[in-house]
Amino acid sequence: MNGVKLSRGDAVVWLLAATLLVGLYAMFWQADGHGAEAVVLVNGKRWARLDLFQNQDLDVPGPLGHSHIQVRDGQVRFVSSPCPNQLCVHTGWLSQGGEVAICLPNRVSLQILGSDPRFDAINF
Amino acid sequence: MTRTLQTTRDDYLIAGFAALAITIHIAESALPSPLPGIKPGLANVVTLVVLCRYGWQMAAWVSLLRVLVGSILIGTFLSPTFFLSVAGALASVVVLGLLFALSRTLPGWAVGPMGYGVAAALAHMSGQFWVAYAIFVPHSGLLTLYPLLMTLAAVLGIVSGLLTRTILARLNSAPSGGNPV
Repeated sequence: MNGVKLSRGDAVVWLLAATLLVGLYAMFWQADGHGAEAVVLVNGKRWARLDLFQNQDLDVPGPLGHSHIQVRDGQVRFVSSPCPNQLCVHTGWLSQGGEVAICLPNRVSLQILGSDPRFDAINF
Repeated sequence: MTRTLQTTRDDYLIAGFAALAITIHIAESALPSPLPGIKPGLANVVTLVVLCRYGWQMAAWVSLLRVLVGSILIGTFLSPTFFLSVAGALASVVVLGLLFALSRTLPGWAVGPMGYGVAAALAHMSGQFWVAYAIFVPHSGLLTLYPLLMTLAAVLGIVSGLLTRTILARLNSAPSGGNPV
């Protein structure tokens, strides 16, 4: 009984406890509010489901032409779209659950899925 | 028909240790707490001392009696606080039971006060956290707090382990039957 000497059993318990704590931080502190997935709708129908942590570029065909969508490191945006006002492009990067970017003329919309979305509903 | 209640030495020990734990529990409840659910857990030191000296069964009695009687005396019996305490105490008693049984079967890997302290504190926090989450505040924001609460619990568990070890050392060096201090 001297100092902070641990028995073998104690050491195992502490090791397990430390592992548990690291696991808990990894589990509950990593995906803070960030959505991990997005959906692309064309004409109101689901066209693709995107993993936001898998970088990719895709061309989504709409009535006016192709809308170019880019996924980078947990974010997603319209790079270009064949529409007159470019509202979808100016919306910029999306990363939070519930965020949307919509290209009405080309009938393409992009929405981040999240278990805890920042917005319940958005009206324009 | 008359019945005489047989009391054993263990009953007196349980009653005595439970009374001690309840006293500490009540004194502790008067301390201000930065966060609900965070307490030094000094009363748990009594449980750990009993566990190391007299085994799991008596420790379970002392722990559960402490929560029950402590809540009646403080006036939180059957209130949300009470259910959180019961959940925490049950969880830590179960975990201590597992570790105690393991220590019996594998003496080379026996767990001591330091291990018991940390395990009990983490189990207690988990028990009360998940009851709080399931029944009282089912909001996912609460989950963010969980790793932090568990870290605090681990630190407080180390403190209670150290206290337990010191107390055990004093008890072991005291003349048997004596009641030092």
